[in-house]
Amino acid sequence: MMNKTSLIALALLVFMGFYPLFVDSAWLAVGTTFLVFSVVAFSQDIILGRAGVFHMGHAMFFGMGAYTTAILNVHFGWPILATWAPSVLIPMAFAFVLAGPIIHLRGDYLLVATIGFNIIFIQVLENDVFGLTGGPNGIFGIDIVRLFGIEFASQTYMYYMAFILLGIALFIMRNLDKSKFGRAMFYINKDEIAAQSMGISIRYYKLYAFIVGAGIAGAAGSMFSVQYSAVSPEAFNVTQSIMFFTIVLVGGSASLPGVLIGTFIMFVLPEVFREFETARYLVFGLAMILTMILRPRGIWPVKFGDIPSYLKKGVK
Amino acid sequence: MDIFLQQIVNGLTIGSLYALVALGYTMVYGVMRLINFAHGDLVALSAFVGLTVYTQIFGEGITSLIAVVAVFMFTAVIVAVVGVLLERLAYRPLRTAPRLSAVVSALGAGLVIQNAVMLIWGPNMKIFPSEIFPSTIWAIGGIVVTFTQVMILGLSSALMVALYFFINRTKMGTAIRAVAIDQDAAKLMGINVNRIIMVIFIIGSALGAVAGLFIGAYYRGITFDMGWMYGLNAFVAAIMGGIGNIPGAMLGGLLLGLFNAMITGYISTQWAETFTFVLLIVILVFRPTGILGEKVAEKV
Repeated sequence: MMNKTSLIALALLVFMGFYPLFVDSAWLAVGTTFLVFSVVAFSQDIILGRAGVFHMGHAMFFGMGAYTTAILNVHFGWPILATWAPSVLIPMAFAFVLAGPIIHLRGDYLLVATIGFNIIFIQVLENDVFGLTGGPNGIFGIDIVRLFGIEFASQTYMYYMAFILLGIALFIMRNLDKSKFGRAMFYINKDEIAAQSMGISIRYYKLYAFIVGAGIAGAAGSMFSVQYSAVSPEAFNVTQSIMFFTIVLVGGSASLPGVLIGTFIMFVLPEVFREFETARYLVFGLAMILTMILRPRGIWPVKFGDIPSYLKKGVK
Repeated sequence: MDIFLQQIVNGLTIGSLYALVALGYTMVYGVMRLINFAHGDLVALSAFVGLTVYTQIFGEGITSLIAVVAVFMFTAVIVAVVGVLLERLAYRPLRTAPRLSAVVSALGAGLVIQNAVMLIWGPNMKIFPSEIFPSTIWAIGGIVVTFTQVMILGLSSALMVALYFFINRTKMGTAIRAVAIDQDAAKLMGINVNRIIMVIFIIGSALGAVAGLFIGAYYRGITFDMGWMYGLNAFVAAIMGGIGNIPGAMLGGLLLGLFNAMITGYISTQWAETFTFVLLIVILVFRPTGILGEKVAEKV
């Protein structure tokens, strides 16, 4: 059975699939970045929307993935494909080490601690640690993806690679949702204390979400660095983290269409209104306030029934 | 030794600025459980308002006590009005909403204020008038103390002491503490919660305005986006001291100021923020609610 939501999803999928045929190269690049940012926003949503960890430093993991690819490719001559695994695993390892000691902190403390991690990350990049990160200018000249002698160099290839990445991210999200992890997240979101008394280890699942989210963001970062063939610190600073944070909450946390809408509003709309350079962020701030007042749970909030439908199967 | 003492003086100066700003954060947090992300931008706004008030109304080159007092009063009033409007328009409609919605609203409000400042005063750095305080310098032993530093230390401590007595000794202060503990119970006792929150925003914004003017007078160069960094440092100070706790904000501010001064004086300026956040995280790991924060049992 097709319901309204799946029809919209299908229409969107078809539109996104044929998007590169209709637009010029500048808008194609915007489309690619939209896809990459959606992946990051989904990974932020795993941490913030699903696990409820107040995390405002997500650009750090995005940046770690991008810099891993850039450093391994430019300084050590690895092919891009070989850097994909480390660009996922390194952010995951850092997420484990950094979040482990602080994951139990109260929400707002965590917010500032994660902002802190992001700021430390930027200082590490800007101070050119071990001569690897290239300082404030970043790293240039990242290779393209080569496979079986084919060079995936054009922007159209980039777009479809990002498209596949988004598909993989959505597949992971769906699997997470239907697994033990998803059910645990659902209950933790509903009532943390009740979940804990039922034997769900809050610390374990929050850390789990944090690590998975970091890994997905790292993969997106790798794609991002290949798309622009360069990385620089300001693409991964706290302002970017705040954008990802806002995307999830403006769109609707734990809601797939919500996160896509959020990414569209926070990233694509400012590109559309680029000509109003000076005033656009003023309007933007007003829009953020208004959205929250009119729709406190986001533009497309997730419908949380009391019991998720997949648990009600066969129960009248 | 001279460098050490000099850095202590500098650290206390910066620290009292952080403390003034941190008080605004901590009071709002204590009552509304909201990180007022727009507070740092209010601080930046006040530096620009002060600049305009000083040059437009009093003209450059005038240094008189009356002019300085008037600039401070005027700026504090304007910024307090902005603070109250901020609460009324951006936070009050969200008081019953999920907590993170209010955080996004605060981020949006910060963006609005910051860009309004940019549109009004322009994107370039402005120079705050140096004549606002006499350029007297005292050299005691090997260390140098400027008049501005003495003013900052003196007025900040006076304001903090006044605030401490206001919160702990007056009827209004008691009402504020009551609202911080339990809004509903306070309402049942006949306390007008909306009025208390308005008072909180007036005091917090006015203290932020004083800090903003001092930042202008002390560092001279002011930019429209400087609020973020001062705000973040002040917020870190508030958390170090234990957020929601007024003496904690003062202690955290001074501690962070001294720590910053020692790091920049002895170790490195490039890594200053890294050290700040490492200190914060270490404090949070060992004292999850800050230095003076009490352990509150969670109600079920």
